[in-house]
Amino acid sequence: MARNKFNVDEELETEFNWSHYKRIGAYIKPYKKALFITLLIILTANVAGMLGPFFTKIAIDEIIPDKNIPLLIGLSILFLLSLIVIGICMRYRIQWITRIGQNILKDMRLDIFQHLQKLPFSYFDNRPHGKILIRVVNYINTLSDLLSNGLINLISDIISVIITLIFMFAIDAKLTLYSLALLPILGILVWVIKNMQRKAYQVLSNKQSNMNAYIHESIAGIKITQSFAREDENYEIFDEVSNETRTSWMKAVSIQFLLWPGVQNISVLTTSLIYFVGIRQIGVDVSTGTLVAFIGYVNNFWNPVINMGNFYNALITASAYLERIFETLDVEPDIKDSPKAIQMPTIKGNVTFDHVSFRYEEGKNILNDASFHINSGESIALVGPTGAGKSTIINLLSRFYDVNEGSVKIDDIDVRDVTLKSLRSQMGVMLQDTFVFSGTILDNIRYGKLDATEDEIITAAKIVRADDFIKDLKDGYHTVVEERGSTLSAGQRQLISFARALLANPKILILDEATSSIDTKTEELLQEGITELLKGRTSFIIAHRLSTIKNSSQIFYIDGGRIAEKGTHDELMALKGLYYHLYQSQYDLLKVM
Amino acid sequence: MNNYQWIWSYVKKNKKKVITATLILLANSFFVVIIPILSGRLIDEVIENNQVQLLVPILLAMVGATLIRTVTRYIYQLLYEKVGQDAQFDIRQDMYKKLQELDFDFFNHNRVGDIMARMTGDMDAIRHFVSWVCYNIAECVVWFVVAIIVMMNIDWKLTLGLVAVTPIIFIFTQKMSRAAHPVFLEIRESFSRLNSMVEENISGNRVVKAFSREEYEIEKFNHFNNDYQKRNLDSANVSKKYLPWLDGFAGMLAVITLLLGGLFVIQGSMTIGDLVAFNGFMWLLNMPMRMSGWLINDVQRFNASCVKIRNLLKTESQIRVEERKQTKKISGYVTFKNVSFAFSDDPETQILKNVSFAVRPGQTVGILGETGSGKSTLVNLIARFYDPTEGEVLIDHVNAKEWPVRKLRDQISMVMQDIFLFSNTIEENISFGKPFLNIEQIQRVATIADAHNFIVRMPEGYNTIVGERGVGLSGGQKQRISLARALAKDPSILILDDTTSAVDMETESKIQKELNQLTQDKTTFIIAHRISSVRDADFILVLDKGEVKEQGTHMELVAKKGLYYDVYKRQLGLVEQEEGGATIGP
Repeated sequence: MARNKFNVDEELETEFNWSHYKRIGAYIKPYKKALFITLLIILTANVAGMLGPFFTKIAIDEIIPDKNIPLLIGLSILFLLSLIVIGICMRYRIQWITRIGQNILKDMRLDIFQHLQKLPFSYFDNRPHGKILIRVVNYINTLSDLLSNGLINLISDIISVIITLIFMFAIDAKLTLYSLALLPILGILVWVIKNMQRKAYQVLSNKQSNMNAYIHESIAGIKITQSFAREDENYEIFDEVSNETRTSWMKAVSIQFLLWPGVQNISVLTTSLIYFVGIRQIGVDVSTGTLVAFIGYVNNFWNPVINMGNFYNALITASAYLERIFETLDVEPDIKDSPKAIQMPTIKGNVTFDHVSFRYEEGKNILNDASFHINSGESIALVGPTGAGKSTIINLLSRFYDVNEGSVKIDDIDVRDVTLKSLRSQMGVMLQDTFVFSGTILDNIRYGKLDATEDEIITAAKIVRADDFIKDLKDGYHTVVEERGSTLSAGQRQLISFARALLANPKILILDEATSSIDTKTEELLQEGITELLKGRTSFIIAHRLSTIKNSSQIFYIDGGRIAEKGTHDELMALKGLYYHLYQSQYDLLKVM
Repeated sequence: MNNYQWIWSYVKKNKKKVITATLILLANSFFVVIIPILSGRLIDEVIENNQVQLLVPILLAMVGATLIRTVTRYIYQLLYEKVGQDAQFDIRQDMYKKLQELDFDFFNHNRVGDIMARMTGDMDAIRHFVSWVCYNIAECVVWFVVAIIVMMNIDWKLTLGLVAVTPIIFIFTQKMSRAAHPVFLEIRESFSRLNSMVEENISGNRVVKAFSREEYEIEKFNHFNNDYQKRNLDSANVSKKYLPWLDGFAGMLAVITLLLGGLFVIQGSMTIGDLVAFNGFMWLLNMPMRMSGWLINDVQRFNASCVKIRNLLKTESQIRVEERKQTKKISGYVTFKNVSFAFSDDPETQILKNVSFAVRPGQTVGILGETGSGKSTLVNLIARFYDPTEGEVLIDHVNAKEWPVRKLRDQISMVMQDIFLFSNTIEENISFGKPFLNIEQIQRVATIADAHNFIVRMPEGYNTIVGERGVGLSGGQKQRISLARALAKDPSILILDDTTSAVDMETESKIQKELNQLTQDKTTFIIAHRISSVRDADFILVLDKGEVKEQGTHMELVAKKGLYYDVYKRQLGLVEQEEGGATIGP
């Protein structure tokens, strides 16, 4: 699937279907008991609620005409008691329903978040992050009412409808059939509205997602926007995106709102039909009292039906969001533990690439039959032109991607045969794109080893020469930095990530352009610091600076997805090949003043 | 201005729609009342009095009234919805505009997830208020008034007896309102924290995986997810405390009617028929009271979201964006006069101390210095992303503060150290600053930045979509695309902040040669760590802990044997060492 951008609607893999209901059911299941209790509470309240009108009827029909004041007062007290029962029921109903609803949402949100953690880089790289975010938080929130109030009311409405129907049949079967005569029309109406509403809400959810993506990127990229003075153009784009959301919203609700008038009119038509038929048959086979009572039941029948219609309406609305949530949950991670995966034993650091080929897309090999072996404790520098496959090699080593052909082995164990966690937790990777979390500097370094003491952290920071600048900050190690560390300089962020990688005490250390923004002096000090530490550990370094490369035990020159040259600096210089050319040209550049 | 006045300022322009909708709503209440009356008549006249000829007219009236009632309600619902959408649209536009104007300082201290929460969840609470809560309140008020009028007509004494209960309900709603307000504020805050956490997790997904910290992240998430759930339960606790009472008092009205009305009938001051009719309208009076508690929740949700949104809208940028038009082109003089700078949240730590220098158009300035010495801050002052705390920055001999910000920035191109590419095609990324560039021009700047070659090798060339922040590209590739983007703008002042750090030296020198051609009449600032990047500059500033320690050409600085020489020695030394110790010198 091609990469998605903010103004392109995402394709939908699977539409909402019946199996989705089952999945919703699975979320509800743990709360079966609570739901049942709530249902009992509601039924109790409903019965108590029916007492009021009943008391009123008795009073008006008998007690008041009889001028029986004590009985009237007694009845009023009973009425009051029924209200108290309703009040108590309501109290527990609110409590239980909210608890069930919020728990279901919490579970769902946790599931989607947990699943996201399993998804590979490519999932995050292929779509704007705003579109992922909206699914975890906003979409799930829209389900809140449906899964708590909606669901329980649905059950109690179904019960009401069934009970009412039984009463109606008991009173007069013929009239009951008349009152059901218009149900097919209702069915057709619901079906037509449903189809239109489905489409409209799918469009809307896409537009909302697009808008979210655009807002997200606008905020994340605000510094670029301001430095290019592009605010007005952005504003216009936002205007369009925002307007699309508004238009599709209006369209969706204008369809959704049709249901209520439809059901209401059909209900009145039905009542009229009963009157029409009933009154003509009065004295034939219907008595006046029966007719009046029957009409009362018809109203009792339609109220829950209207509610059920509203529920269905809400369900259709929600399905546009649910299908996106389930879609995310259904994305199979490309990289996952194999069922037979074992724990990676403590890594010694022998690395073998055995005829490895790799491509991000068919027909364009990034690595082409690359083979090499590295002994534990060696430091390897990877050099070569942009796009030659340097980063790919280290990505395969940490199993961020899987090879297409051949195998990657560490200590003679294929990386695909071990669990991801046991593999990655023994590797220290410092990525090109440093990422600093919001929180203290201490916590940021601690990310490499969660149970590290403050001393350990400071030691790591000292080794990479980060201590110098951290000490000078307002609150030292406890200085709070913002997301992405926007108040730190790029070099400072690299030092923090470096300390983080080091603290993890990795068996294999991978540095991808790790020191590009660090000044020469600090870099030299840093290298002195880590030389001692690197002894006995295998390390991979991608860098452009000669100083970083030269002292490695082996240098790989990568070109066209193959290891074109490998050897020590001296060997490669003697070879007078690609590396020699690279080195010489840099040397000339420095020397020619 | 309170929240209601504030929201009215957005609804105002749709005044006609609001009035129309409200008038329809008022008219509609007539049909709400007429339908039960009709069905009452049907039973009384047709069934009891056997006036069968009235059957069809009454039925037709009922069907007709329902049709009118439902259609008119549909119309006013949509009208309110439209008004709500328009208000939401306008507020969102204002928010977006505000966000575009706010300064770096704001974005350094506010999390993306928090801002996102305001733009989505909070916005929705406001929409819900205008398009749903408002007309429901209106319906309730109208029904309440209609019920009182109708009931007064039947029996004013009994009606007064009922109205006597309403103050109690009013007191309860007030109390609930007060209790619910802080809870909803907490919910919004908690939502924002949850949103921020997830947002950060998504942005940092590479680091999470690299350190296999998935479980730790899930634990963190659980904390926020549980908190959000808890806050929502808190709100249920308020509801369960007050709503049963409100509901109970509403129910009390029926009891009072029965008891008091019954006594009146027994006394003979009221007929039983009147009592039945009176009771028939009870639901009209009941309903608004039952609804009041739920509506209060919605109103408080609205208020909480208002606070969040209005706070953002109230935030003032320290860098004012004037709308003033200025067409003068910048020629490129940049002068720093005793400039000092400290961030507002840490005024003690001076990032720049007493920096002074002057550049002419066409000159290139190299800036060198240790990590954190203030290099990026210095160039940020030129584009006025911050204002100096002391001293002044002059652009073309005019204080930068006097320049309209956008005009100024429009003529300055800056390649920032943190490369940000948008998830869009490479072509659109390059033409970001100049949206109407044709493909030849785009290819030309890409060629200068040495990006053209690798771009055309990509599967879809210039139409390749890059991921957010440019993920999937190597550091060097991202740097070169953002250089092309900066060049496309054809600026008077070009600032390159560590732009070629991830590019090998050979490519760098190729780029520099091309750049020299292009920047002959431009002022260029180059921040770098490599001597090779700044060597050819007209003069070089060496920063150390915010101070300009050395200043001069490469030759001068090497001769000076100070900080610059030290860096030079280290970088060259590594080469020399290998070659057998040739003498170090210019």
